[in-house]
Amino acid sequence: MKAGEIIDRIKSHLGVPWRDATYRDTFKTGGPDTEVTGIATTAFVTLDVIRKASAAGLNMIIPHEDTFWNDRDDQAVVAGDALYKAKLDLLTKHDVVVFRIHDHMHAQRPDFTYVGSARAIGLDPKQEDPPGSHRFVIPETTLGALAASVAQRSGSRALRVVGDPKARVSRIRLGVGYASPPINAPDIDVLISGEQQESDGTFDSQPYALDAATLGIAKGIILLGHTMSEEAGMLEMAQWIKGFVPEIPVQLVKAEEPMWGPAAH
Amino acid sequence: MPILYAGSTEWYNRSPMTQLSRREFAALTAAAAAAPFAFGEAPSAAVLTAKDLIDRITAQIGVPWKAETVDGLKAGDPATGVTGVVTTAMATLAVLQQAVKAGANVVISGEPTFYAKTDARTPPAPRGPDGGASAAAAPPDPVFTAKNAFIDQHKLVIVRLSDHWRLRQPDPLATGLAQAMGWTKYQVAGDARRYDVPALTVDALAAAIAKNLRASGGIRVVGNAKTTVRRIGLLPGSTPIQASLAQLPEVDAIVAGEVREWESVEYARDHVAAGHEKALILVGRVLSEDPGMQVCADWLKTVIPGVPVRHIAVGDPYWRPAR
Repeated sequence: MKAGEIIDRIKSHLGVPWRDATYRDTFKTGGPDTEVTGIATTAFVTLDVIRKASAAGLNMIIPHEDTFWNDRDDQAVVAGDALYKAKLDLLTKHDVVVFRIHDHMHAQRPDFTYVGSARAIGLDPKQEDPPGSHRFVIPETTLGALAASVAQRSGSRALRVVGDPKARVSRIRLGVGYASPPINAPDIDVLISGEQQESDGTFDSQPYALDAATLGIAKGIILLGHTMSEEAGMLEMAQWIKGFVPEIPVQLVKAEEPMWGPAAH
Repeated sequence: MPILYAGSTEWYNRSPMTQLSRREFAALTAAAAAAPFAFGEAPSAAVLTAKDLIDRITAQIGVPWKAETVDGLKAGDPATGVTGVVTTAMATLAVLQQAVKAGANVVISGEPTFYAKTDARTPPAPRGPDGGASAAAAPPDPVFTAKNAFIDQHKLVIVRLSDHWRLRQPDPLATGLAQAMGWTKYQVAGDARRYDVPALTVDALAAAIAKNLRASGGIRVVGNAKTTVRRIGLLPGSTPIQASLAQLPEVDAIVAGEVREWESVEYARDHVAAGHEKALILVGRVLSEDPGMQVCADWLKTVIPGVPVRHIAVGDPYWRPAR
């Protein structure tokens, strides 16, 4: 089966129109004529993911994120880098075709990144109110207890929290990746998301939560990291593709959490 | 043990106090009370206003003042007489409270005060259904309201100094971070961002950074804990992939403030997976910039001799739950 046939099936099953204007959801290596032996979904096409996918006989990789360390996968940005050349050589050696699915994954309903993240951190879909809103109301707890639960369930080694651990919270807003609503929304106690610029952006939630804590106003932010936030949903993505590409193996090959935190002080 | 804040009051005491002892505070406060407008010995010395201070900074910063800049007055009356100056990476409410306790009424902040690059004293308009800003006014926001009230009550003046401070040579943020780490003597000649330190493992390096910067949970590491590193590159603040592409091949470890994870974190991870003995240590934007604002305080003392100038650290915004 050729990669182009798989992409055509993805487009026809997506449920939303394909936007050709996307610069993200395109081939990064290989192309529509590459013969595909199996599909790996993942957060990032890391060197390890390439090796693991190849070892499993999967030569099509569908990542949610970029391959060449910049969002546009502009290879001119990295052209002078020796590691870029080594990565490209490895992809070529294993005849890997990379097709990113990001914008359309977020446009799809449900957006699997939210589904996967809620599952990974233990948010019950029945607590999402209203459904599809990414808002969860849980029995009141403390930010400290909630963060400990999220860390334990996700297995994260590098999760970070802002806010007073004793703050009493119940209204959670889930964000994914780099997309997080402002923490100052009056109906949000805790934002759980992936990655968030710390300062100098359109709205700086971490500094706001710091000042809220100084004032005794219950606001918390739990940052899972970009991969931990979005990779879980690539399992749902693999299962979905498997449904209409039954001819070849389709599986999640995890990039895994890239970072660890030193022992706290 | 993770540092868990025991409540807002204790938490507030914990962070900025870490770098300014109570005795130093008392000394500053006492000096301010005894001679609130003591600007040097010269009898002709006039009261220095916030505007005078900004003018001196503009004239002496050493780089041409930009037409488009985030730097400048963010709150307060420029005609205010300066009683004391506090520099900080970010004018959080806790830092402002400590500044007032120290007898200062001008705060020089590296980052915004009002939670956005725009640094407006009012909350942003709520988003409309299409995701864009709606025409509706923002509802009252208790954090904005309280911060504004504190600034007004204490007649504080807040000035942002970021764009121009970063452009000074040698890089004051890297210089400060190296000073905080005790690495100044290891500087590679002519490059404030490069230090060849005695060899140590990545986990020892992370622990040393956590200790010296008084981190509580914001430090994150890409790389193998037992890899030995010696050549260190510093990228304080927020940096794009281009900075890592330029520096990581030349060093064993980068100590950075904030990067985009899909850029530099993945780049470093691929280096490690390729068998290169390298690491990337992220300390967080604010934590990485505060030592550079200590350097700013040292510089300001030469710009406004006779006026009390102190640095107050924000502290690590982050903590991590026990596992």
